[in-house]
Formats: sequence, C-alpha cells, structure tokens
Amino acid sequence: MTTNDTTNRAIRARKFPTGEATRWAMRLAAPAFACLVASAAIAQEAPQDGVYADRIDWGVLMDLSGPTSASQSIWVAGLQDRIRKTNEAGGVHGRRINVLAEDNRFNAATDRIAFEKLVGQTPVIAISGMGTSASQVALAPTIKAGKVPIVATYTSTKALSEPVSPMVYNGFCGYKEMAQAGVGHFVDKLKLKAPRVITVAIESAGGKEYHDYMAEAVGKLGGTAHHVTMKVTAVDVTPQILEIMDKKPDFITIYGVPNTAILTMKALQQYGVNIPAFGITYLGAPQIFQSMGPQAGANYNFVSCFTPSGTDNAPGNVEMSAFADKVGRGAMKEDINYVAGWVAGQMISEALDRTGKAATRAKLVETLSKGFTVDTKGLSALITYTPQNNTGPVLFRMFGYDFEAKKFKGSGEFADSAKYIQ
Amino acid sequence: MLGQVLFSGLALGSIYGLVALGFVVIFKATDVFNFAQGMFVVCGAYLAVTAISLLGLPFPVAVLFIVAVAALMGMGIHALLIRPLSGRPILSIIMLTIALSIVLRALIEIVYGPAGRTLASPLPSGSFAFAGLRISQLHLTAALVSWFCMITFGLFFRFTSAGLLMRAAADSHEAATISGVRVDAMNRLAWAIGFTLAAIGGLFLGQLQIVSTELESIGLLALPAVVIGGLQSIPGAILGGLLVGIIEQLASTYISPKSSDVVIYALLLAILLLRPWGLLGQKAVNRV
Amino acid sequence: MSDLAAPKPEAAAAAPTSGKLRRAALLALGLAVLLYIPVLLTDRSIFGIRLTNMQLLNLGLTQINLMLISMLGALSLNYLTGCAGLISIGHAAFYATGAMAAAIFGTQLGWPFPVVLMMAAIAGAAVGVLAGLPSLRVQGLYFVLSTMAVHYLVSFVFLEYQFRFFDVVGIPFGTPSLGGFDLNTPMRWYFFLLVLVALVYVGLSNTLRTREGRALLAMRDHERAVTSLGVDVRVLRIKAFGLSSAIAAVAGALYAYYLSNATSETFGINFAIQFIAMIIIGGMGSLRGALIGAAVWLLLPSVIAGFAAEIGRGPGIVGSLLGEHRAQLVQLIFGVLVIVLLIFAPGGLVSLGERLKGLIGFRRKG
Repeated sequence: MTTNDTTNRAIRARKFPTGEATRWAMRLAAPAFACLVASAAIAQEAPQDGVYADRIDWGVLMDLSGPTSASQSIWVAGLQDRIRKTNEAGGVHGRRINVLAEDNRFNAATDRIAFEKLVGQTPVIAISGMGTSASQVALAPTIKAGKVPIVATYTSTKALSEPVSPMVYNGFCGYKEMAQAGVGHFVDKLKLKAPRVITVAIESAGGKEYHDYMAEAVGKLGGTAHHVTMKVTAVDVTPQILEIMDKKPDFITIYGVPNTAILTMKALQQYGVNIPAFGITYLGAPQIFQSMGPQAGANYNFVSCFTPSGTDNAPGNVEMSAFADKVGRGAMKEDINYVAGWVAGQMISEALDRTGKAATRAKLVETLSKGFTVDTKGLSALITYTPQNNTGPVLFRMFGYDFEAKKFKGSGEFADSAKYIQ
Repeated sequence: MLGQVLFSGLALGSIYGLVALGFVVIFKATDVFNFAQGMFVVCGAYLAVTAISLLGLPFPVAVLFIVAVAALMGMGIHALLIRPLSGRPILSIIMLTIALSIVLRALIEIVYGPAGRTLASPLPSGSFAFAGLRISQLHLTAALVSWFCMITFGLFFRFTSAGLLMRAAADSHEAATISGVRVDAMNRLAWAIGFTLAAIGGLFLGQLQIVSTELESIGLLALPAVVIGGLQSIPGAILGGLLVGIIEQLASTYISPKSSDVVIYALLLAILLLRPWGLLGQKAVNRV
Repeated sequence: MSDLAAPKPEAAAAAPTSGKLRRAALLALGLAVLLYIPVLLTDRSIFGIRLTNMQLLNLGLTQINLMLISMLGALSLNYLTGCAGLISIGHAAFYATGAMAAAIFGTQLGWPFPVVLMMAAIAGAAVGVLAGLPSLRVQGLYFVLSTMAVHYLVSFVFLEYQFRFFDVVGIPFGTPSLGGFDLNTPMRWYFFLLVLVALVYVGLSNTLRTREGRALLAMRDHERAVTSLGVDVRVLRIKAFGLSSAIAAVAGALYAYYLSNATSETFGINFAIQFIAMIIIGGMGSLRGALIGAAVWLLLPSVIAGFAAEIGRGPGIVGSLLGEHRAQLVQLIFGVLVIVLLIFAPGGLVSLGERLKGLIGFRRKG
C-alpha cells in the first residue's frame, strides 16, 4: 500500500468517520443500487389490475403443501387444466390467462400474506379458491370493502357469502344444500317418516356447522339428528361405531377427510352394521371407495353438485375427461375436486370473456354483479348468479361406486333435488 | 361394550407400542429424540404402496422389500445426518429431525403426488365373533405382528451378542469403546431397527386408513407413549403404547373424542412430575 | 451470548470519538432504512421508478409485520433458553393464552387495547409460572416434554372456550386503537410493532445485565456454584419463565388482532415448533439471533417461492417440476437449508456471521 493511498484513506476517514464496516457496506451497496435502478429502468409496464398486453394474471389461494393439500391441490389442477384449454384455444380477447397459485399451507397468517401479495405485489384481476375457512372469515371484511373480487370459492363461510356481496361468487356446493339434498334423497329413497340421522364428523368448526345444517334439515321432517365426532387422525373408531349402533340411525352422513369416511364405513362393516351413508362432496374420490372395499363401499355414497369423470356421457364430462387424459391428469379426473376445479376454470374463462377487452377489476365486478349463468354442459346443473344470490351450484345428485366397472354411478338428475333445496 | 372398547384399545395400542419401540431403540442408542418418527411411519406406508401396488411384488417379497429399504434408509439417515451432529445440544438435534421430516414429506409428495393412495394387500380384512366380542381380523393381525416384533426384539436385546453389544453401547459409550465395541456400527443398527419398526407400523396404518402424509401425526402419538413408559425402557415403550391406545379409546367412549389427547397429556404431565423416568424406566434423570 | 457481552474489541481499540460517531452514523443509517422499508414495500418503487416483485424479493409489508410479531416470540424464547437454560415447546400455548385473554377483555368486555395487552401479559405470566413449575423437578428433555403437555392442555381449554362463547369459525378481534391512533393499516402496525420489538429487545438485554440476570446466566452454566452464593436458582428460573411467557402472550394477542380472527387451530404444535426453529437458525441464547432467526423463518420461504415462480415460467424439466410441485420444492429447499445450517453452523447465523467477519478482517490485514 502506497503512502498516497494511506493519506487518501485518512482524509476520507476524517470526512466520513464511519469506519471500515460502513465503507464496505457502501462499496457493496453502490453497485447493487445501480444495478437495481438499471434493471428497474428497463422494467416492465406498471401492472394494471394484473392485466397486461399479452396476459391476464388470475390468483388462486389454496393449500398446496399443508394438511388439506390432498384435496385442494387437485382442485387447483382441475382449474389450471381448464384454463390451459382456454389458452390453447386462443385465450380471452387475445390474452392468455396466467394462473398465479399461492400456497397458504392451511395457515391463516400465510393466507393473509398471500392475499395481500395478490392484491398489491403481483396484482391479479381476481382470486379463486380461498380454501381455509378460518382465513376466509378473517379476510371477509377486507374482501368486501376491497377491489379484488373472489370468483369461485372452494368453500363458503357465512362470513364471506352472507349477506350477498358483489365481491364474492361461490364456486363449490354449500354445506347447507348438501345436507338438504342428502336428507331429501335418503328420506325419499328409504321412505322414512321421522328420520333418525347421525352426523359423523371430525372435531372441527366446519363439522359442527355441517351438523347444525343437518339438524335443521332433519328437524323440518320431524326427525332427529345426533352428532358423533372423531379425531382427524383417528385409527380406530370403535367408540363411535358403538354409539352409532346404540342410536340405530336410518342413515348416517360423514363430514371430514377421506380417512373419516374410510374408517367409519370399514368399521361399520366389521361390526356387521348395515346402514347407508353419504359423505359431503369433498369426499368423492375413487380412492376412498377402493380403500373401503366392495362390501363397505356398497353402503357409501356422496352427494355432489358436480358429476365426476366417466359417470355419464354428458358433453361437458366427455370434454373434460379427454382433456385430462391428453395432459396426463387421467389419474386425477375422477376426483370430485378436479371436476370442481375444472368448473371453476370455466367460470373464470367465461367471466373474463364477458368482461371484454378493456378488463379491470372494477369492470369485472360490474359485469359479474349484474348476474350471469355458467353452462357446464352436464358437469353440473346450470349455475346461475343473480344480484340477489351468489350461492353458485345448488342442485345435487347422489353418487355411488360400481366396483366391477370401476366407475361412479349417479342416481337421478340434478333437477330432482330442486324440491329439497330451500 | 367395555370389552369391545378394551380390545380395540389393545389392538391400537399394539401399533403405537411398535412405533414407540422404534423410537426408544433410537433414543437409547444415540440420545436422539426423534420427531421424524412419524414421517418414518409414512415412509413405511409408501414403501408398501411402491412394493405392492406399483411394483406388484408378491406379498412376502414386498414385506422383505419394505424391511430392507427401511433399514437402509435408517442407516443412511444416521450416517449422513445424525453422526455429524453427535454431541450437539438436544434442541439442535430435535430441530434436525423436524427438518428431516419436512424434507421427507416434500419428497414423498413430489414422487407420489398429493392425493392419498389405497393400499391393497392380501391381509385379512373381515371380522369374526369371539366371546361376545367382534374381532376385526386386520386389527388382530396388526396386534399379533406388533407383538411378534416386540418379543423378537426383546429377545434380540437380551440374548444375542449383537443385542448385548447394543445395550452396552447405549449404556456407556466410553466404556463400550474401550472394550472394543464398534459403537458407531451399533448406532447405525439402532437407526435401521428404529426405522424398520416404524415402517411396519406404517404398513398396518396405511392398511387401516388411507396412505397419505397425514399418517405422520398418528406416528407421533408414539411420543407420549414413550415418555409414559420411560424413555430408556424397551418394555416401557410397549406398555406406554398399550396405555395410550386404551386411554384413547376409553376417553373417546366415556368422555369425548377430543378429550383423549388431553387425558393422555395430563397423564404425561403427571408422570413427568411424579416419576420423570417413566413407569418402567430407570431413575437417572439428571444426566439427560 | 456474544452480543450481550462488552463492546466489540475493534470498536474499543479505535479512538473513542470516532467510535462513537461511527456508532451514531450506523444507527442513523439503520433507522433510516427501517423508516424507509414500509414506504418502499407499500409504494413498491424507488424515486418513482417501479420495482418488480422479485426486486423486492417477493416481500410485502404484512409479512414484515408478522415477522415482527414472531420476533417477540423468538426473543422471549431465546431469553428463556439462552439465559435460564430452559427450553419450551409451549410457546404456542402462551400465544393462545394471550389471544384468549384478548378475546375475554377485548372482544367480550371491550376494554381499551393497551389494557387488554396488559391483561394478556398478566395471563401469560400466570400460565407461564404454572407451566414452569415442573422445572423444579425435571430438566432438559423432560422439561421440554412437560411444556408440550401444557401445550395440549391449553389448546383444549382454548377449543372449549371458543366453542362455548363464539361462532365455530373462530373468535373475532376488532381494530385495535391506541388512544385515537387506529391500527388499521399495515403501515401503522409496522411502526407500532417496530417500537414494541425495540423496547422488548432493549428491555431483555438490560434484564440480563442486572444482578438477577447475571445470576441466571451463571446458573445456566454452573448451577451449584450459583446456589452456593445464596441465590435461589429455582425461583429465578420460574421468574424468567413468567417473563418470557408474558411477552409471548402479548405477541399472541397482537397476532390475533393482526389476523382479526383466531381459532384453536391457529396455535397448533407446529406453531410452537417454529419458534424453536427460529432460535436455532438465528443462534441459540443470543437475542440478536432471535431477530435474525425470525426474519429467516418468515421471509425465506417467500423469497424461495418467488424465485421458483420466476424460473417456473421457463421451459424444460425444471420449469415443469417447478410448475407442478412448486409448493413442495419450496418446503424441500427450506428443509435442506435448515439441515445444512444445523450441520455446518451449529451456533446459528449469528456465529456464522461472526466467523465470516473474522475471515474478511483477516484477509484484509493479510
């Protein structure tokens, strides 16, 4: 080191007596800052509600790696595939739909972070999914007072969907309607007068809510509903089965995770109890039936506002099954969550199509709030939204499984359930 | 009714006991309080899916496959992760096992996809009546296999030379090293055994339920079982497992399902306060 | 406990005035950065030049705020671990206690926010002292397990409380207000939390410098020696536990208010484990480590996810893997990073930082 250098250093040090560390920081910071500014200068156009020249960003907020990812990520796959179909057909108004799927890991805090990201950081025109009910409740006031609409929810909580808001459009079958349709179906089929029903549910807020709907639906017919709970992680449900045997219900209904349905039905069979049962829509997957086996599975059904792949030859169903096979999602297509996601994808495509070329968040809300109808060509009944009602799909069918043909079999038509729904 | 509940509790407890036994073997040998034990159970269930459903191996070969791969994975984890960290504070090692289970979970979900899988094995699935009880054949098989494994390992530790060496290594590393015991090999063996036991538990749990990464939380129920029985005690782990199974069923029947965790952990707290070394453990708490 | 010890040797060696000036300048710089962060993350531009999301590392202000709340938990846990040698898996339980206290005094009784926080602290301290009682009999792993049992007991009480008094979907929390200053934007929360974290940090550092604090530190290493000096170690330990859980309870109340809803599922065992992860990543026993660990734990997954999304847009196998399994890959990378850190930096990031500093300093001298 030369003397000159040292002197310079000393002078500099006197001017900025901030020492080595800071100078090092400065030396690093200056080029970094220059790079930042340079890259910002060539930066992309400022995002306008997630609408760009060639694409529209659409947000999805779901559990992709947490405890409920087994069903939620399949819903996302269905949604992405349907959007892919739209994009392959040229997108909407010359723009590609770009799905930004954020993982909330079923955690309210992560959900809040991801939500604000989709609102402000990587802005999207609207958000789908919101599969964690606790965070739906927490975010409900923000959503209703905000600018980003929630189109096609995966689950609907009262806090978000009541009263009707132009910012929220349900995309999945609701628990209340599931209970009404299921009870109506079994009461008619079994010709019951005052049905005795048991709700088997995991210990959770949702389970209690679902049971309350059941009790209400059964109560109207002069029947009684009893609530039996089990742990999410249960391995043996002997105590619950003994309680069911004690109460001798006409039929049971199951709320929970796939395991809840499998354990209950298997154990009922082991104890030689022959009671028909139906699960909520989320519990409609071939694996669930296969795990139960043909004997226990014969008593199990699920109530759904969507038709799983391969059940019938409705054009919508054929189209979906073919596309799923084409993109290598053949294994998922029979899962009811995939179908629900697919329908959500259709809803998104059509909503953007209606909104027109100059799409913005406000324009989308304006378009949707006037009311609209989605025709899924047989994958579900006609889904109608009106300014007074955003409940979404409300008509149901009961589905069982044909173990020999390895296919779902549906009973009746969606329209049959209209008389049960209030 | 009580008899039925007790039987199911015993059957359930036997599986917990099996997983707990694997836990204790690892803890005794390497002082690692293994939070990844639940994930080992999941690995076992997915190994079964691989062998039976994907590779289509005949059942006895499939069992051999599961045991062999599980043992290898146990040894691999010991060599790669546990040995480099020996002598670190317990919390670091606990954290390591937590991180390990995060990694294993992610890997499994990438390879097998997020949806649960059905495990179809030729194990009997019917039921029969015996002395007024309804006995599920699968539960009975699970219990019998668990007992078989537990007794085999009990005998192994007591009577074979390898078992004796393992006990020696676990009791005092220095003394064992001086007397020429290959402590490292013994520890590796312990991890292999621990992983294998968990994997067998996974085979049954996957069969009773559906195979998914959510089996982890059931595997973790072995944790209170271990503490109640005594962290250092092999018979204690079995007793703890049985107790947890029975308490869970009794509490679910006579109080409410959600109370079962509380009852189990209240017992755990009581044990920690009154008899920290567990029901069958030896009193040497201050060293830990 | 390096950061709690005397000033750094290099600073002491330099001339006193320049050292002071340097510190002041660094402090000013730090303050300026801290004041600028919320503006930057809200406007998402520097001097009117818009930055892309990745230039801001995929971060948002809500994340920073949740990080600050977690810092309170990590600080209190590291205080406990670092100075009292007690390890707790019960921190989620103390968070839950705080949230419950906030629900009772805030949501149900409608008391003013600062009073609610005070009540949360008192409730937390009370539960903490109870939870600390087993430390009279057991230590080490056994004590960890006893705090885990406490966790399950508190969770049960929370669940019963929630189902008894509130809707099934959770306990609602209103917008808190500090004497007319409503905490209704992320920006306001940021400044409130920043001040709080600073106060807790300084407070805990000072506590460690008092006679009792020194006794606690000494106790961690030489319990018998301290006992022989006439200090009742057991009482000190329980006091430390009470203080730590009081802070955690306040953090829990804030967490509930920030998310505006809390359920029994919010504070699960994984919630507790994350605090342990934070202090291990940052550096056990160091208050600075707690801050760093909380920052890494809360921010890193999002940074990884952001980069993964960028790369995922590309073609090829990497792109498709990232597209299909992004969530799993983020978890995988994160888990591997933690393992690597545990193996190669046993003292956490704080000690790693010091080693690096030493390395750079050595090279420059050479």
